[in-house]
Amino acid sequence: MFAKNMWSKFIISLFIVALVAGFSSMAGAETIKVGSLNDMTGATSDVGKDYALGIAEAIHYVNDNGGINGKQIKLYQFDYGYRIPEALTKYNLFKRLKCVAILGWGTGDTEALAPTVARDKIPYISASYSGHLCKPEKTPYNLFFATDYSTQSRGLITVWFDKKWPQKPDYGKRKPRIAMCYMTASPFSSSSIKAAKEQANMLGFEIGPDQSISLFAIDTKSQILALKEFKPDVLLHTNTVMSVAATLRDSYALGLGADHLVKCWGYDENLPKLAGKAAEGVIGCAPWAFFGLDVPLMDKVIEYAKKYNPGVPLEKRTIHTVQAWASALGLAEALKRADKAGDLSGEGILRKGFETMKDFEIGLGIAPVTYTATDHRPQSIAKIYEYKNGKFSLLDEVDLKKRWPDKWANEWLGW
Amino acid sequence: MSTIWLPCGVYHQNYVQDHAWWQTKFIKGKMILLFIILFVVIPLVADSYWLSVCNQVGYTVLGALGVQLLIGFCGQITLGHAAFIAVGAYTSTLLILEFPWPKFMMDFGIAYPFSILIAAFTAGIWSLLFGLPSARVKGFYLILTTMAAQFITVDFIITQYVSQIGGRGQAFSLPPGTIKVGPWVIDSDLKVYFMMLVLVILCVIIMVNLLRSRVGRAWVAIRDNDISAEVMGINVVKYKLLAFFVAGFIGGIAGAFWISNIAAISPEHFPWFWSLWLVGVILIGGVGSIHGTIFGSIFMVVVMEVLQLAIMPLADIYPKLLMDFLFIKEAAFGLAICLFMIFEPNGLAYRWWQIKNYFNLWPFSY
Repeated sequence: MFAKNMWSKFIISLFIVALVAGFSSMAGAETIKVGSLNDMTGATSDVGKDYALGIAEAIHYVNDNGGINGKQIKLYQFDYGYRIPEALTKYNLFKRLKCVAILGWGTGDTEALAPTVARDKIPYISASYSGHLCKPEKTPYNLFFATDYSTQSRGLITVWFDKKWPQKPDYGKRKPRIAMCYMTASPFSSSSIKAAKEQANMLGFEIGPDQSISLFAIDTKSQILALKEFKPDVLLHTNTVMSVAATLRDSYALGLGADHLVKCWGYDENLPKLAGKAAEGVIGCAPWAFFGLDVPLMDKVIEYAKKYNPGVPLEKRTIHTVQAWASALGLAEALKRADKAGDLSGEGILRKGFETMKDFEIGLGIAPVTYTATDHRPQSIAKIYEYKNGKFSLLDEVDLKKRWPDKWANEWLGW
Repeated sequence: MSTIWLPCGVYHQNYVQDHAWWQTKFIKGKMILLFIILFVVIPLVADSYWLSVCNQVGYTVLGALGVQLLIGFCGQITLGHAAFIAVGAYTSTLLILEFPWPKFMMDFGIAYPFSILIAAFTAGIWSLLFGLPSARVKGFYLILTTMAAQFITVDFIITQYVSQIGGRGQAFSLPPGTIKVGPWVIDSDLKVYFMMLVLVILCVIIMVNLLRSRVGRAWVAIRDNDISAEVMGINVVKYKLLAFFVAGFIGGIAGAFWISNIAAISPEHFPWFWSLWLVGVILIGGVGSIHGTIFGSIFMVVVMEVLQLAIMPLADIYPKLLMDFLFIKEAAFGLAICLFMIFEPNGLAYRWWQIKNYFNLWPFSY
């Protein structure tokens, strides 16, 4: 009885101490606080787990290498399970903790929080690369380090049109046919569809009926059968990897015979594992190097993955770790610049940090990043890979700004 | 003394006394104290984070009230309530964004409150439509028809058609300054908090008043035994549909309130899981109790946040603890429902009632 009492008293005391300390943890030393919102249990957790691990490892790397001009980054990392109401509460918690910037996650939370973020002037570096977030007039504090979804989709369609369509027997006899597979209910999946359709129209494609495929889909036969009538030459997939793999498998099994183009979140090392033979020849956009490729800083990515998450075997790590490093290192650079200028306010980080980046090289195989006060598209180059003979190899790079300078400057910003 | 404490028994002599809101001076005092805490103390003490937590509780209460009415008071099991919240949110948003309001209505901040009312009616009528099968089916079959409401409304109509209105893409964002109530632009957590309080209090008053009227008694009769209710002359179909309408109406208010909190919506804000969550709220709070709805909402939102804060200092030693908390939270949610079902099937409201009675009857509380 005595032991039981002691034990419960100990637990209660521990809880009270933790609670008091939790409430008082807002007062900090010489640290810069950064929040990170991740999805490890929700709709996008298939790619979110690896990203979350990458964020924590990258921040360790920054801190181990002098931090932000000598100040350490204190990372508050939360899982919100892709639940938007919860994202809002967590965002307010970050504000309360006085985080100077937030590493966000999906299109759902990022677009939902965009008005609030703009009002509070807190830079929000998301893993959502929606083209809607690139217009500073509308979303001044939303930033990211990647090729935006619209540029990715335009790049994928363009490269397929340049490289693959001329090899088809029907080339020159008819228009190429394209159809889009995505979850219509998801802003993430559907955010680049308008741009993709515009690009396809511009290049003279015939566009087939959209197929709504859930992010959780494990069977897509009805959608593939619906597409069989249209006989597409190529499909554009904008879902995450599990759903894309299911679509590829069914497409292969039912003999659809179309090529496949995949946006970055559906194109990672797990795709061949999940889709098997159906992944052969799949083309995708990857703004960063795949995990383990020989590019600057990859050795550090591997070293920190081993050091901080030894329980996760390296062969299970994916490109999303590299993505996370790009976001974290990009933010760290902006913080360093703003700190040097003596202004770590939200506006300072934006104007004296991000918007001073011109052709900034992060490493990790990502194209140079440029932000201006009027254009937050970080890069105009879409790096297009092809999965062939068991490995991802660079198929082409297309610079949309060089190829369509007028449209890039005047028409394509913000969608 | 007796007018203050209601000591060991109830001495009401007529129904008016029996159904009075505040039956003793002491209860009146407690209520005034509660109002002071809600309207003065919390706004003065709470920072933006805690206000947003309160707003989250308010949103959950508004959402769960309709579920409580259907399940707890009318016996109609629903698993599609998020659909009616979505209808309210989208109606209000579209009215604000697309409807050509006369200038004076925008200037005087009447447009948004008006849109809440229209949203509530639209959601009520939409809910009533999905309540029609309740005339023929009940139990598990009704669960399936209400789930259909979720899929037809959110996944099909809202996603495929409503979201396309105005060509904005999936996410609707409300420009700053458009959500205005009278002279106040709702642009801070504090203002959202006050609006939430007013809406929650209004909805609770509506619910409580309905429940102590003929309508409420009919609902409870249907819940307890629909055949007996019909034998007693209650028009079962009419009252079931009325329950669906009122539940949808309050759900519509919840949805219209939600847009003031976040100023942006997409179909992802109203997943089927949210309908299930609201059922969890009333199970934990107590089925068939308005108090239960509020306690359940507080439990589901505040307790989890407090736990999260409590583990934050430990995260310095175990950094992954913060990330892993959601796993714990999900598990805690499941475990809490199991434990409540086993040990406290009447929910937190019953526990509250016991505590209250203990003090009311003290020192003879045996």
